[in-house]
Amino acid sequence: MKTVYSLIIACTLMLAACSDNKQVELYNTKAALPASAKYNLGGLKVITSFVNKTKGTASTLYGNDLALKAAIEGNKIIAGNEIFTLVTWKQQDDDHWFGAKIPSDVESVEVIKTASSGNNVAINYQQLNGKPLDLKTDTSGQAERIKYILGQKPSVLP
Amino acid sequence: MGIVLFFVLQNRKAMKTKKKPLYQRKAFIIILILFVGFVGIQFVRPDVPNLPVTGDLEAPADVKAIIQRACYDCHSNNANLRWYDKIVPVYWGVASHIKDGRADLNFSEWNKLAPADQKGKLWESINQIIAGAMPLPSYTAVHTEAKVSPADLAVLKNYLASMVHSKPADTAAINAADKQYLHWEKNETAITKLSTAANGISYIPDYKNWQPISTTERFDNNTLRVIFGNDIAVKAIKENKIHPWPNGAIFAKVAWAQLQDKDGTTHTGEFKQVEYMIKDDKKYASTYGWGWARFKTPKMVPYGGANVLFTKECMNCHKPMAAEDFVFTLPIKH
Ligand code: HEC
Ligand code: HEC
Repeated sequence: MKTVYSLIIACTLMLAACSDNKQVELYNTKAALPASAKYNLGGLKVITSFVNKTKGTASTLYGNDLALKAAIEGNKIIAGNEIFTLVTWKQQDDDHWFGAKIPSDVESVEVIKTASSGNNVAINYQQLNGKPLDLKTDTSGQAERIKYILGQKPSVLP
Repeated sequence: MGIVLFFVLQNRKAMKTKKKPLYQRKAFIIILILFVGFVGIQFVRPDVPNLPVTGDLEAPADVKAIIQRACYDCHSNNANLRWYDKIVPVYWGVASHIKDGRADLNFSEWNKLAPADQKGKLWESINQIIAGAMPLPSYTAVHTEAKVSPADLAVLKNYLASMVHSKPADTAAINAADKQYLHWEKNETAITKLSTAANGISYIPDYKNWQPISTTERFDNNTLRVIFGNDIAVKAIKENKIHPWPNGAIFAKVAWAQLQDKDGTTHTGEFKQVEYMIKDDKKYASTYGWGWARFKTPKMVPYGGANVLFTKECMNCHKPMAAEDFVFTLPIKH
């Protein structure tokens, strides 16, 4: 009888162990931005989110309160102290839902900061590329990117 | 198992003692009682009527054959019960599965669903199959022919993928989005009185100040989504304490229609809805520990109206994520 009991206990333990072993993926580690002083999403809000199906990318545009307000007003007037941050990821299939795509490796982080001095407003643009967030030193095309980012219409968030 | 063991022990005892007439032996009497009981309960039979088919699922022959074979016993008005399904107590389980299955999804009354809902149910179906939740594993254990093979799954996936079309937005979609945007921009959509769903959960306007934890492009229903987490959720993500999620954590998922421009960029168009999941393992114990609510259009019309059973729909679709605390989203932790 004792052996029977110990067998039953052993089997139960084995079954329990098996069901506990199921690997559960809890985070999207691929899409995580590395910690860095080069950008700061803390306190920023979502202005809008969009995807490019040709390139297979997903982007979210963040902004501080001033930037969000200016964007809702169509960015007609650029004032100081606005921060816009556009994060662009490659996309991957969502393992949990056939029919969805979610962010994958980060492609770029673009940061726009405005500063006013007297009657002038300076617009600073930085582009950080890839997982190491390498600063792009070539400044050509910056004006176009600034125009593109400031031209984004905010998402309706009632 | 237990019963069999019991009989074996009883019989061995009986063999050792002096032989009594059969009808006086304990084992015999017990078997007799069990048998009479078994026959008796056969008459306790809930009805499983095969109701008329009002409008059957329409799909290519190969697709339909798979669904008929794997799903129709529980999700159509033509349940094809085998003899072993008709034996009580097995029958009780079968009858209740058919009742519940039909109530949630009925391929024989397919015409009662709007085309968009039909599509939605098909995508949900394939995802339930992929997750191993459907057909019910307890059922395929006996009805092995109902199993969906990888080849079957490929057929179903191809069929659904063929229904996905992405094209630049038409003027109607652009105009609808523009009109909504103008109202919102001028703050005309501000809600003065919070609307409340049938389960008592109210729209939470502050969600837009929360942090986004992920985004999704849903090509099954042409929407874009942002998933926000409140402070408690975001803190739990930082501290690796999301399995299970702590009480007080709230998600808000916002969905917009897709608005594709000519260069392939797809923007958020019309706001469709915001959905909440509020974690409280005591208050919401009966709904997987989460409070569910969905509010549609900028007017925040509660989904489900006065019918609190709308939460069953949320729960059924989130159920395959039980091991992840019923949450689909893999948060992005920066
Ligand atoms: C043995 C019976 C049975 C079979 C076979 C079965 N289901 Fe189900 N199904 C159920 C029951 C019961 C429910 C109700 C929810 C639950 O208990 O999980 C359900 C729920 C569902 C739902 C959720 C419905 C909703 O919107 O609330 C979907 C989708 C579904 N089944 C799809 C399928 C598909 C697809 C197949 C075939 C591949 C299938 N089922 C085969 C019994 C069955
Ligand atoms: C047909 C399947 C389906 C139904 C029904 C459904 N959901 Fe979900 N839900 C999903 C999927 C898939 C996601 C993952 C994000 C995405 O791709 O949209 C999700 C995500 C969510 C999230 C974000 C947290 C998470 O789990 O990822 C919330 C909040 C949510 N759903 C609420 C609801 C509510 C409330 C209802 C019912 C009114 C509901 N859902 C019904 C499929 C469903």
